[in-house]
Amino acid sequence: MTPATSNASHSSGPTEESSFGSLVGLYALALNLYPRPFRESYAPAMCQTFRDALRDRSLSLRKLVPLVFRDLLISLAKEHLSMLRDSFTRPALVFNALVLAGISTVLALALYAIPQHVLRAGLNDPQIQLASDLTARLEQGATPAEAIPAASIDMARSLAPFVIAYDDQGHPLASQAQLNGATPAPPSGVFEFVRQHGEERISWQPIRGSENGVRIAAVVQRVNGAHPGFVLAGRNMREVETRIGQVQNMAGLTWLAMLGLILVGAVAVG
Amino acid sequence: MATGIQPSAPLSPAVLAILLSLAEGEKHGYAMMKDARTPERGGVAMGPGTLYGSIERMMRDGLVEESSTQDNERRRYYRLTGLGGTVLAAELERLDAAVRSARLLGLLPNGGRL
Repeated sequence: MTPATSNASHSSGPTEESSFGSLVGLYALALNLYPRPFRESYAPAMCQTFRDALRDRSLSLRKLVPLVFRDLLISLAKEHLSMLRDSFTRPALVFNALVLAGISTVLALALYAIPQHVLRAGLNDPQIQLASDLTARLEQGATPAEAIPAASIDMARSLAPFVIAYDDQGHPLASQAQLNGATPAPPSGVFEFVRQHGEERISWQPIRGSENGVRIAAVVQRVNGAHPGFVLAGRNMREVETRIGQVQNMAGLTWLAMLGLILVGAVAVG
Repeated sequence: MATGIQPSAPLSPAVLAILLSLAEGEKHGYAMMKDARTPERGGVAMGPGTLYGSIERMMRDGLVEESSTQDNERRRYYRLTGLGGTVLAAELERLDAAVRSARLLGLLPNGGRL
């Protein structure tokens, strides 16, 4: 068999050669976008093929250049996908990538869970002290009306801590805070638990809903003595929940970035 | 390593055009590209990217191989392997059967070029 030759069917002048050189230079630059193994194997031959096509002129420049550059874009996508497929059929590479993805997931979860816990637990600090102080005063014989300041706090809007005293059946006796003009009570199960265990720390939702809902970080304590009952110290969670949401977003972005780096690393190594 | 070209499966237009071009003898990249554009060889307008991507996979499948012919440091020549010839023949048989069937169904004019 006789090899086909590549002789150009037309000669080209120095100006054309110069413009061909620019086009081939641009094409050679674009070939850097191919995966490295493919580029190393075929880039010089691809440039030569393009150069041969330019010199041959059996296809006009207006048709050839768009054809070659459109083909470049399509084949770039194909070769990268092909390399990804090849990379992820290698068990050792897949194992390493999965281990790294697992570590990244644990780190991202820790990045969310630790600050979330610290922020949420810290939100209870003033209420613990307020509830303890009020319980002590009531057990020493003070009446709820005497022990609870008269100031009225709007539970839905204010971020200030507040206290409420309930009788042994869970009916409000005195309250520093109001919600829609009334004093709400936590679910009766909470009082039952506190009756047995002395204290409970809860996230209480007197109004449910994602937008207009009200969530309260509450500490409920048992009042013993001559007039048994309960005290609840609470505080709107709005600001802390916003911060927890920001931490969640940051942890999520960090996780995605780590997965992206692992993917890039696997592709580069593969 | 699996490369995606199954000898029994229909070939892509680019692979068929390259095999048809190399059936004549060993050729370099642009000669195959030019051949592929002609209607007789499939009328496939491909660029160097598709050409060498297809050649890469065809080499892995053992359909073509690089020859030692060199007339330029950068120009590479390829030729059909025995398996490549078999796969091409099987594909042409398949296409021929499809054309015969189309004729029987009256989908092609009698004596049509195909």
